[in-house]
Amino acid sequence: MRYSPTLVDHFLNPRNAGIMREPDGVGEDEYAGCGDLTRFFLRVRDGRAVEIRFQTYGCGPTIAAASMASELYRGRLVGELCALDAAEIEQALDGLPQDRRHAADVAAGALRAAAAQYQARQA
Amino acid sequence: MSRRVYLDHNASTPVHPEVVAEMLPYFTELYGNPSSIHAFGREARDGMDLARERVARFLKVSPPEIVFTSGGTESDNFAVKGLAWARGKGHLITSQVEHHAVLRTCRALEAQGFDLTCVGVDEFGMVDPDEVRRAIRPDTIAISIMHANSEVGTIQPIAAIGRIAREHDVPFHVDAVQTFGKLPLDVDALGIDALSFSAHKIYGPKGVAGLFVRKGTKMVAVQHGGEHERRRRAGTENLPGIVGLGKAVAVRARDMQAEAERVGALRDRLWQGVSARVPEVRLSGHPTQRLPGTASLLFRHVESESIVLGLDLKGIGVSAGSACTSGNVEPSHVLVAMGISVDWAMGAVRCSLGRSTTAEDIDYVVECVEPLVRKLRQAMPVGAA
Repeated sequence: MRYSPTLVDHFLNPRNAGIMREPDGVGEDEYAGCGDLTRFFLRVRDGRAVEIRFQTYGCGPTIAAASMASELYRGRLVGELCALDAAEIEQALDGLPQDRRHAADVAAGALRAAAAQYQARQA
Repeated sequence: MSRRVYLDHNASTPVHPEVVAEMLPYFTELYGNPSSIHAFGREARDGMDLARERVARFLKVSPPEIVFTSGGTESDNFAVKGLAWARGKGHLITSQVEHHAVLRTCRALEAQGFDLTCVGVDEFGMVDPDEVRRAIRPDTIAISIMHANSEVGTIQPIAAIGRIAREHDVPFHVDAVQTFGKLPLDVDALGIDALSFSAHKIYGPKGVAGLFVRKGTKMVAVQHGGEHERRRRAGTENLPGIVGLGKAVAVRARDMQAEAERVGALRDRLWQGVSARVPEVRLSGHPTQRLPGTASLLFRHVESESIVLGLDLKGIGVSAGSACTSGNVEPSHVLVAMGISVDWAMGAVRCSLGRSTTAEDIDYVVECVEPLVRKLRQAMPVGAA
């Protein structure tokens, strides 16, 4: 298997998958040239993302990356989410093959977009 | 993971035990070079001659019309380039749903100055012979149309296209890699001048294949060197492989009809099981003119590679109709040519059954597909979500 057990677990049992009603922030990202699309929904309390949900259309690693990100960043300050790095998601998945690195990029991009939208609403 | 189900026989097959048994002496005892004139060489030559006779008998042609090669891709390159280069310039006709071994070879020839027409297909993936007829020009030098498509299983109207090629005196090449040893093939009745076939799709070894070239067909060699294969394909022959190819086709001639009926029924069982349990799924390809063991399933709003991965984790081997490589994902050129929209084409999964496939295997696959697709769709931002 070219994917880590952690990745496979998140693919088979995605955490926090599905839509969120009345979210405080929504953002999505698509990988250029690739059909992969991920959308994150945030519930924010006291400046922290207390709940993160996602929807995604993509290959196994893309689903796993979104699921991992939804757990990894729960409880973090929205300001931190605005600057999150895809490498952190990749690391948490115990690595991605070279040709699947975009999975972490799409998840990171979508989550940053959701955080940015929340902040824009507050401004 | 205990259970393993292989449903990717259009990609490759396990070598039949009878084939292995016949090949083995050619690694250790009958190892001479078939071109050598001593006893060692003559023994090797006998094995190769028998293989050539077996292939020729299956195709109802004469043995000298068979050239052995290293694979289906080489056979296709040899046929298309050999026909084109023998004429130096002119116009080629192929279809949009060919295997890349033909399509990219034609494109390469186009870059060399040949003209190219790629005829389209209907929603079932079938070429219209009249479109081929209309594409023929005074300078048309070859037509290359596959017998059956590896992705969707549609069988092309080869006899009708062959008649048109004959009427216009244009050489006709058929890539029969997916039908050789699966369907009866009478190259005379079908009007074929060159035909590619391979061993590893029919329980023979990998790395060996061949090309039928009708006697008198003007063709040049693509690979130069020694005098092998009547100077049509240089290089010491892969003797154990060729012996295996000969035995594989002999076994298929004996077994293929019964197997076609059996795997056809299992393919129907798979489709009925999946379509009864999973919403928004289609079977692509022609409803009747199709390979018996091939089911191309389209799951709307699901990404095919995630289904392949999910089934792989259950021990099931199927193939994706779209592939995401280096972050670039495209639906299959075959499904696009059939006019299938992206929301369906991206969820294409090909199941190809074979001689080891059982009803229990099919039921297990159906059991695994339903919850997997349901779960994947739950996370989807579109359609069923």
